[in-house]
Amino acid sequence: MTAALVPAPSRRVPLAAPARLLRLELRRNPMLWLLPLLAILFWLGVYRPAMAGPPFWNVRATVLQHAVLFLGPLLAGATAWVGSRDGRRGLTDLVGVTAVPRWASQLATWAATTCWAEAVYLGGVAVVYGVTAEQAHWGGPLWWPAAVGAAGVATCCALGFAAGALLPGRFTAALAAVLVFLALGGGAFALQNNGTYAQIWPLNVQDGLPPDSYGVFYPYLPDLAIAQLMFLAGLAVAALGALGLPAAAGGRWLRGAAAALAAAGLAAAGTAVGLAGTARLEAHGVVIPALHDVASDRPVPYVPVCAHSAVPVCVQPAYRSYLPAVTAALGPLLEQVAGLPGAPVRVTQVAVTSVQQEPSNGVQLGGPALSGSPPVLYLPLAGLSLPGEGATTAQFIDQLRSEDATMILNSVIGDIAPAGQAAPAGRARVGGQAGARGPASVPVRVAPGAEAQLAIETALAELAGVPSGSGVPSGSGVPMAGRPLEAAAHRFAELPAAARHAWLAAHISALRAGRVTLSEIP
Amino acid sequence: MNVEIAGLTRRFGRTQAVAGVDLSAGPGVFGLLGPNGAGKTSMLRVMATVIPPSSGRLRLLGRDPGGYGPRREIRRRLGYLPQNLGYYPSFTVAEFVEYFALLKEVPPARVPVAVATAIERTGLGDKARARLRTLSGGMLRRVGIAQAIVNEPELLLLDEPTAGLDPEQRVAFRALMRECGEHATVVVSTHLVEDVGAACTEVALMNQGKIVFHGTPAELIARADGTDAAGDAPLERGYSAVLAAARSTTGAWA
Repeated sequence: MTAALVPAPSRRVPLAAPARLLRLELRRNPMLWLLPLLAILFWLGVYRPAMAGPPFWNVRATVLQHAVLFLGPLLAGATAWVGSRDGRRGLTDLVGVTAVPRWASQLATWAATTCWAEAVYLGGVAVVYGVTAEQAHWGGPLWWPAAVGAAGVATCCALGFAAGALLPGRFTAALAAVLVFLALGGGAFALQNNGTYAQIWPLNVQDGLPPDSYGVFYPYLPDLAIAQLMFLAGLAVAALGALGLPAAAGGRWLRGAAAALAAAGLAAAGTAVGLAGTARLEAHGVVIPALHDVASDRPVPYVPVCAHSAVPVCVQPAYRSYLPAVTAALGPLLEQVAGLPGAPVRVTQVAVTSVQQEPSNGVQLGGPALSGSPPVLYLPLAGLSLPGEGATTAQFIDQLRSEDATMILNSVIGDIAPAGQAAPAGRARVGGQAGARGPASVPVRVAPGAEAQLAIETALAELAGVPSGSGVPSGSGVPMAGRPLEAAAHRFAELPAAARHAWLAAHISALRAGRVTLSEIP
Repeated sequence: MNVEIAGLTRRFGRTQAVAGVDLSAGPGVFGLLGPNGAGKTSMLRVMATVIPPSSGRLRLLGRDPGGYGPRREIRRRLGYLPQNLGYYPSFTVAEFVEYFALLKEVPPARVPVAVATAIERTGLGDKARARLRTLSGGMLRRVGIAQAIVNEPELLLLDEPTAGLDPEQRVAFRALMRECGEHATVVVSTHLVEDVGAACTEVALMNQGKIVFHGTPAELIARADGTDAAGDAPLERGYSAVLAAARSTTGAWA
């Protein structure tokens, strides 16, 4: 016996046989060769998109859950290749006559392969969350989406491995990869077609809600994630159970246990699909009544971050980096109207208040609201394109001004009656609809008494930089001379700020009542 | 007796590969000779519990392999080298042998020594850390033998073990077979009568699924006496004589 081969006496307790088997499989697993490719796929498909978005934990978590789309097909193909190893290598007879049940040794091979795949995924999760921890202003990692992603990885491995082991063949690996890709893509189509049960699709995170509308003001609702975990775990268990069904897998009891496991897995997956069918979309996420914990409905306490301008503008601390943009959007108008009756005394960010499911499975979110006494502008930022999330800061400011400036002006100056009505006449208004994000319309003609209101509103909108086409008759850069209304608006806008504010304070009641004429505007 | 077979048959569809074999073997090296297609490999696969017999009685190491529990116990004490050995190219020699030691439920504390011993006995000590993909055909065959003996089996089934081995290795392997046969039943299926002559204490000759001769190598040699059987060595002439006699009885092509 050579000295190199004879193991040195050791006081260490030897590893148990399953652990040694797993160690061997880990050391010589073909997945090792794929690690660089998996890491590149993760970087391209997950890390880069995650970092392109705002540093919100929920946004990053959503992208992590989507990792299955990029990793799943390759993992299924690779594990199918590993699963068909004995068949391809002509080792079926040799490993089939060993004392350890075939099923057990196959599970060791699957476990080792899945360990490497999970190492890539969980390593990626650690990197994404580590970077997010450096960037985010508030909150902490959401583990449910990451858990669904990890379960998706394990399930793709289990399905691929079972396919390879049960149907070893030259094309099994490629077919497994294609089928997993088609299954993931098919889920997207089913969900788009408003398939109720399709909500179980593992890439579905809170059913189309914008990522910044959940897991911020209220806890992340894990109902859908729990159902998805149950579904994925059920599929994985069923696939692994199926490995134990062939006669060569083991004894009668073992095969019975495998059959029971496969049946239990299918039952769990079916139950999860059934639960997804009862899901309903609410303002803070998807609620599955059977899984819902009412404790999740309590708001998350936080100390708002405020900008101390003429009117305090406060946002949830997670949105701290957007506070300057929000202040820049609303500040100019708030300076003009601060202290006037109907003007907000505070702007505060709130959660989405209502959600309406659309036939195409999209959602319409409740918009801003100006209410209370004294009035407060409640501003949900969810649904807007945040800077860095497909919009520039300038576009974000324009969005806010379009939606909210009109509401503020209407609240201060009063509703403008259309032609043929006495002013003021209910909520016939100039600008966009209060309470919903949507396009605005501009009346062409107004009642004679409302012309002064319109002129003042035009002037203030001009001064606040409200973009044209946002429901306010005129915007920056639009010529306002040539007609009495535009001339009055132009004249008012030219006044010094203090004089303008003083005039408004003195005449706002008359203006709102439609008793000011164009000629009385200074 | 470690191997007790009575009326054993094995069919593959319409083909009867093993046709009513009666055989018993205790410790020692048992040679299974026969021409291509005689049923040697099928016989060995049945004895290795790879495939169940179609009919007949089979007891291995005093147990009936029909039940899963006894079959698992047999497999724990069984070594098997198939005719075509598959292997995992990325495994090293030591890892491959360790893998099978673990699958054969060698106690974990004994695995390192068992692996080292098996590798050393097959003369692969200097290749223990070589990847299997880098080995020659003869070395791979020795790796196959190493995995077969790693659990110190009481029943060792070897299908064409010396195919691909050079003469020196073959001589060493015969010595290994004799050593194993001192306390285990070693069944060797082979075409090479010199292996039988050098290592086997008993020999059986199969033809068309049946055992047409069962005895010692000396008895096989004696069968050639008084015949003009072809062959360069006494055992070859005995082999040819028995086969010719069997074929003349069944009318098969010689």
